[in-house]
Amino acid sequence: MHVRPKKKRSIIPYLLVSPYLLFFLVFVAFPVLFSFFLTFHKWNIISPMEYSGMDNYTRMFNDRLFWKSLRNTLWFLVIHIPLQIIFALGLAVFLNSKIKFKGLFRSVFFLPVIVSGVVVTIMWQQLYGFNGGVINQLLNSIGLGRVGWLTNPAMSMPSIAIMATWKNVGLYIILFLVGLQAVPEHYYEAAEIDGASSWQKLWYITIPAINPTIFMVIILSTIGGFSLFIEPYVMTGGGPLNSSLSSVLYIYKQAFEFYHMGYAATLGFAFAFIILIIIVIQKKYIEKKY
Amino acid sequence: MKLKFIGFFTLCLLFSCNRDEQKDNTITFWSSNASQEILFTAYFADKWNENHSEKLESQPIPEGQSSEEVIMAAVVGRTTPDIYANMWQGLVEMYAKSGVLVPLDTIEGFTDFIRARSGEAVVKEITSADGHIYQIPWKINPFMTIYNEKKIAQLGLNTVPTTYSAYLKAGKDFSKDTDGDGYVDKWIGDTEVKNIWHQRLNNFYPLYLAASNGAPLIKDNKAVFNNEYAVGVFNFLQTIYREGYFAKESNTVGSDKFLAGHTATKWTGAWDVSYLERYKEDDFEYNIAHLPVPDDHRGVVYTYADPKNIVLFNTCKNPALAWEFIKTMIDESGDLKFLELSGQIPRRQQIKENEVFQEFLRENPKIIPFIDQSNFVYGTDNCEVLIEVLDIISQEYESCVIHNKKTPAKAIADATRAVDILLGNF
Repeated sequence: MHVRPKKKRSIIPYLLVSPYLLFFLVFVAFPVLFSFFLTFHKWNIISPMEYSGMDNYTRMFNDRLFWKSLRNTLWFLVIHIPLQIIFALGLAVFLNSKIKFKGLFRSVFFLPVIVSGVVVTIMWQQLYGFNGGVINQLLNSIGLGRVGWLTNPAMSMPSIAIMATWKNVGLYIILFLVGLQAVPEHYYEAAEIDGASSWQKLWYITIPAINPTIFMVIILSTIGGFSLFIEPYVMTGGGPLNSSLSSVLYIYKQAFEFYHMGYAATLGFAFAFIILIIIVIQKKYIEKKY
Repeated sequence: MKLKFIGFFTLCLLFSCNRDEQKDNTITFWSSNASQEILFTAYFADKWNENHSEKLESQPIPEGQSSEEVIMAAVVGRTTPDIYANMWQGLVEMYAKSGVLVPLDTIEGFTDFIRARSGEAVVKEITSADGHIYQIPWKINPFMTIYNEKKIAQLGLNTVPTTYSAYLKAGKDFSKDTDGDGYVDKWIGDTEVKNIWHQRLNNFYPLYLAASNGAPLIKDNKAVFNNEYAVGVFNFLQTIYREGYFAKESNTVGSDKFLAGHTATKWTGAWDVSYLERYKEDDFEYNIAHLPVPDDHRGVVYTYADPKNIVLFNTCKNPALAWEFIKTMIDESGDLKFLELSGQIPRRQQIKENEVFQEFLRENPKIIPFIDQSNFVYGTDNCEVLIEVLDIISQEYESCVIHNKKTPAKAIADATRAVDILLGNF
């Protein structure tokens, strides 16, 4: 009878994964568990924690600014995601065509992605200035009235969304370019033989073919949108009238301005749960559409 | 956001790592990172180290998003310095309640020294709810009106208006569209419009103290600002913005409106004198007056002191020795040196009458109005949740003053109610 030799267990695989495992435990698992523990406590970091039961959750449901920040963030996503997809896809199709200086254009569109978010935000703050801003001066010079880009509550979030689109569009152009280059050329050749117009080729071939990329862009934009922080923090402080108070900015204020660590952790968990729900809905309705 | 969390906890970790490096007999001192204050601290550290075996190591506060965040990280990591100079008075109560500060009144001779230097009113102001004193009143920058003399003279006035109605009249006369594009481009003044709690310390709060002769916002754990003074300040500022006498735009956008001549006045502290002296054109002439007050105001005019104080953390092994060092910084010669280097005002009574300061005052006449004003200042209430109180006021300020969504009376009443709910929770 042949007896299979007992496999000798090697420690090397465990050693190889241990740095990541350690990192994961210290910087991901522990903070998540500790934050969940915090949601049931009142703690200002320097005083002992006090158990507060469900107080933080009750407070959250009754907190006007929590709902306002959530609405603001969703409003930002409603503006930002379509803008992002339209511009990124349009530019990607343009860059995928037979044009001169393709490499230069790709680099130019990608440049804002690598510039610091704070630098971009300060630059756009100056562009958006009501009295001395370049955009309003241009509008003035062609006889149009000035716009309160950051001073009018109705305009603050759309202004931030435009800026965020400008900043991030280069990244999504790259993703769409990868998707576009994977579409077999013979699809288009067959469509041309059948007399399809450019619009029909885009609508019936390109978009269905890059559906996974579109879905990925939507997911990434949604997650990125929920982490909106630097732009309102630097440009508006969340105003005017809390119209640009994003969810993460509100968490930041609770945690690091008021030292409500337990409440901030509760808000963090609530937003994570909401992101999860939105992504599940997106997956169900967008990914299967085509 | 993620970066901020990582940054904060990295600060905690870093501070945790160097704890054992502290030498038992060495006093560690963190100053602010303003260059003049670094020089000031180094000067006194060198002097101390020449004559004492227990050495003093001074350094500016480590870099961080804000000094408050760095101090908080150090407290969490228990790596606080022995002495920290530049603590905003409004934060002291929170740290005191958490037990991380040394009760300084337990050090022999402390209270008498402070009483002699700063006066009884200051001792009362800095005494915490538990009856102890956790801070050394160090420096102030009283808020006043600095005005462009030529611009004010163009209005036919000798000095800047100091009552609400006169200031509004000057606003009406001065604020105008000079280039004919349909938008005002000259304003009587300018103050930050962003809804950020500490910005209310630059506009609402000094004006409230001026109108009310230094009345508190919080007393006996209750909101006490639902009064004619707070409503009057909101009304005054609401009129200013409604009529377009101030720009409704954040003053971080664009260049310095005051130096560029786009505004005629600004509400600011003594630190601005050295800034103006450095950056103004040769023919730019300015002067200083007290803040605007209600028309029926009588007597002296108070203002916000913007006090920054010195604290000892409970990681300090020898508080008495640390206090011995601090005394060298805040005695007469120390305060003179501080004035000379920083242009900020030591929280000392009767500076103008004191022979030690005479030469400096003769050479720096622009600082004299601030010295005069320093006799009529108030800091902050000893309230553990003062930042949230100011945030609540700031929410109502934006709604009422900037956007005209509420009447001043309703906004102040709503703020008072919200603050009382907040205080009831603690």
